[in-house]
Amino acid sequence: MRLRLMTAPIEDIGPVPHGPLTIFPVVGGTFDGERLRGKVLPGGGDWVTARPDGTFELDLRVTLETDDGALIYMTFTGVRDDANHYFRTLPRFETASPTYDFLNRLLAVGIGEILPDGPVHSIEELL
Amino acid sequence: MTLRVSVAAPQNIGAVPLGTRRIAALTGGDFEGPRLRGVVLPAASADWLLLRSDGVLELDLRATLLTHDGARISLTSFGLRHGPADVMAALGRGEPVDPARYYFRTTPRFQTGHPAYAFLNRLIAVASGDRRAEGPVYTIDEVL
Repeated sequence: MRLRLMTAPIEDIGPVPHGPLTIFPVVGGTFDGERLRGKVLPGGGDWVTARPDGTFELDLRVTLETDDGALIYMTFTGVRDDANHYFRTLPRFETASPTYDFLNRLLAVGIGEILPDGPVHSIEELL
Repeated sequence: MTLRVSVAAPQNIGAVPLGTRRIAALTGGDFEGPRLRGVVLPAASADWLLLRSDGVLELDLRATLLTHDGARISLTSFGLRHGPADVMAALGRGEPVDPARYYFRTTPRFQTGHPAYAFLNRLIAVASGDRRAEGPVYTIDEVL
């Protein structure tokens, strides 16, 4: 599926012991795929730590609402290396909806890109 | 210090493999203590709650704090809440309950890049919570 995130202005926490920490609040977005589509609820975010090697460590949590009303809690950790155009994530899902129970049982990989109107992630089940 | 937060209506994820998941986005709040005071930035602040099958509620809070002098502090805290069934039911109905009647403890960690608050990066803290109808109030103290 493709996940498009809308982010609010960043919250720059500054150089914490693990490296500079920046929080990207997620205020909305959409997702669209063969098995699920819907919108991103506000209240999530991506806690991004800049590592000394020039890459970013990602730590995201968001709530997805499908078009048929199911709520899905999605998290990912990931790495972004702008110098090498590398932006990969490992999404995990939790849901109580029987329709989407398959999400509780799978691992996925995401390829991200930063577009002018926000980050977009192409997420595929790890088969 | 004392941290007061207000929460939005929860996003009920429901019965997930580890328990019942509920997400409570924060809508605001403030904090005040001898060494820091300010407000909660709600945009990326929420508590990811998991009610376990043993009746214990796991709390997994993240909040961004903005001090009165402009420093941003990222707060994360893991916590537990549980108590007798009648007490938890009263809490669920939003009734005032003496926090001594249930267990509500969290372990906040802080991260900041601001030199005036760098001491927060190096300390471990504990908190006692009081779940009021308008939102939880945490009394947070450094572990000395």
